[in-house]
Amino acid sequence: MNITQFLTIFISAVFVYNVILSRFLGLCSFIAISKETKPALAMSLAVMFVTTMSSIITWLIYRFLLIPFGLAYLRTISFILVIAAFVQLVEMVIRKVSPPMYRFFGIYLPLITVNCAVLGVAVLNSDMFFINGKVLPGSFIYSTFQGICVGLGYTLAMLLMSGIRERLDLCNVPRALKDFPLAFIIAAIMSMSFMGFNGFRF
Amino acid sequence: MKKLLTEFLRGIIKENPTFVLLLGLCPTLAVSVSVTNGIGMGIAATFVLLGSNIIISLIKNVIPEKIRIPCYIVVIATFVTVAELSMKAYSPALNRALGIYVPLIVVNCIVLGRAEAYAAKNTVVNSFFDGLGMGVGFTLALILISGIREFFGTGKILGYTLIKGFEPASVIGMPSGALLVIGLLLGLFNLLKEGRE
Amino acid sequence: MKSKLIVSVSPHLHKNESVKKIMWMVVLSLLPTGLAGVFIFGPQSLWVILLSVISALATEAGLQFLTKRKITISDGSAFLTGLLLAYNLPAHVPFWIPVIGSAFSIAIGKQVFGGLGQNIFNPALVGRVFLMASWPKYITTFTRPMIYDAVTQATPLALLKETKILEYVSYWDLFLGKRGGCIGEVCILALLLGAIFLFARGYISWHIPFSYIITVGLLAFVFGPNGLFTGDWFFHILSGGLVLGAFFMATDYVTSPLTRRGQIIFGVGCGLITAVIRLWGGYPEGVSYAILMMNAATPIIDRYTKNRIYGTK
Repeated sequence: MNITQFLTIFISAVFVYNVILSRFLGLCSFIAISKETKPALAMSLAVMFVTTMSSIITWLIYRFLLIPFGLAYLRTISFILVIAAFVQLVEMVIRKVSPPMYRFFGIYLPLITVNCAVLGVAVLNSDMFFINGKVLPGSFIYSTFQGICVGLGYTLAMLLMSGIRERLDLCNVPRALKDFPLAFIIAAIMSMSFMGFNGFRF
Repeated sequence: MKKLLTEFLRGIIKENPTFVLLLGLCPTLAVSVSVTNGIGMGIAATFVLLGSNIIISLIKNVIPEKIRIPCYIVVIATFVTVAELSMKAYSPALNRALGIYVPLIVVNCIVLGRAEAYAAKNTVVNSFFDGLGMGVGFTLALILISGIREFFGTGKILGYTLIKGFEPASVIGMPSGALLVIGLLLGLFNLLKEGRE
Repeated sequence: MKSKLIVSVSPHLHKNESVKKIMWMVVLSLLPTGLAGVFIFGPQSLWVILLSVISALATEAGLQFLTKRKITISDGSAFLTGLLLAYNLPAHVPFWIPVIGSAFSIAIGKQVFGGLGQNIFNPALVGRVFLMASWPKYITTFTRPMIYDAVTQATPLALLKETKILEYVSYWDLFLGKRGGCIGEVCILALLLGAIFLFARGYISWHIPFSYIITVGLLAFVFGPNGLFTGDWFFHILSGGLVLGAFFMATDYVTSPLTRRGQIIFGVGCGLITAVIRLWGGYPEGVSYAILMMNAATPIIDRYTKNRIYGTK
């Protein structure tokens, strides 16, 4: 367990293989919610929380339930069920603790369940930090850290994009490109500039 | 009969899941590097879509409303697992190429979206044709995007070089290129739509 | 750009004449660099510059004609974009590289946003990054200076990245431009002449270039190859596209923050990313990527460094 591995995971998840701009996970919510900064930030925090917690829970399930009983092929089903249940739990808690925040999120909270980023990072963890069912050293802490970093990468992309789109609201964009087409083109340029971190090595 | 045809065609043009509804973009952009991958993903997704639409339409009156989403997900996940395992067995190369995006069909907005918006409220036969239309629409969109990307990004289509001496722009085969292509395609379709009005 | 205490959101450019004047003045300030490039790399560089500029003008005029907007190529901004893109290319690239790159810069880097004043990213850099990602082989093949035929030679930064023994290249060589590199980045002397001209006329302010360059120098010094505080910061400042980028591209009004504080943050950010890529990334040079990333952050920077409107919280 060395610091270079952590740095690599961080640079990888946040910049080089940014969950949205490079892996395309969470794209639907990214295009839909990045129009304004406040909702974008709120969504990002919620997503980061869910990715982190579900990284932990799915790791535990994979390690102590699926592999020992030879049920690795049930990975997809069990992961998504865990995630759905967890998001439902989060939804109930928020509803109890802060009704205005619950109303603020609206439909986007349950939509985190189908946010590809969440299931994606869980599947990624089990692919990267296990080999043929054997646990690699430091697997748990790397998986959790990757969950956090994926959330951070999501937040970064959302933050930048919402700032840009708010600014473009005041501009004279060609009609055919307004909103979604332009959002994709901006994402393309951002994605190209993030390529600068390719080949990163400490 | 005519109504069924309308349902089917709707998924292809008027409510194309990729270009109009903007659903299921994650896998679309990720796997559309080559036409072969695009077709593979399209078929897998259509299979899941058909299966889940039919089953959910069959059991729609039995599922309690409060837990309907998790129930849908279980159904969908089952079909995805079947698709995943079949692919691993019969075309491992395709499975490797599509990577994590096969299990991610579970959260593909198209599948869940159609389940919630259509299969839960319509008959089995209608749901079947809706699923078929959406699946075909999705596959066609994939073929279009991956065709463009494969040609401009690698100079080939389906592995065959078309123009000799053509220097492809490798960025088109990368994530950035995918975003660029779909942005421009969406803009183009908007333009065509405006032109028609 | 001196910070103006303006409360509204950009673009601020009202009078067409003043935009025009500024653009053409910047073009003028880049003339020495172009001459130096042609002198150092030969007539091939002139072709690259011409093709790039013509392609930019043609693309802008063409797109504006097709979308029934006013044709504004006389305002000098497309010319400037074409020029800057050419300066960011090696001298012996195939002719279609500057043509396609320039067209992409104008079309995707500028016109899709609505034209001048509305783009988020520096158009020339958008084109360069596109070319780099599409045909990396051509964009990274550099030639020996002062030998006008194409004899390839790696840039000093590239050699450093591969930890090859650096052929003896003195600071003077770096300063005057006797090294492999892009047309407009090698002759520091010519670049500085142009920069001094822009400073004197008040077209750029010191905040961005200085914070950018100092940050790179500092990081290069601290994280030296033989342990901490052993870095050759002078070498790093004179190498690559740093001077070209810091004075002429990071300072672009439209794509950089409005306030002084914001500009310093912008400069430091650019410097940080450039240094990180140079020191630990896969590419030898990171200026283009750094500036584009900070361009993306500019709206957010502006938002959080807004000058307080008198009388409000």
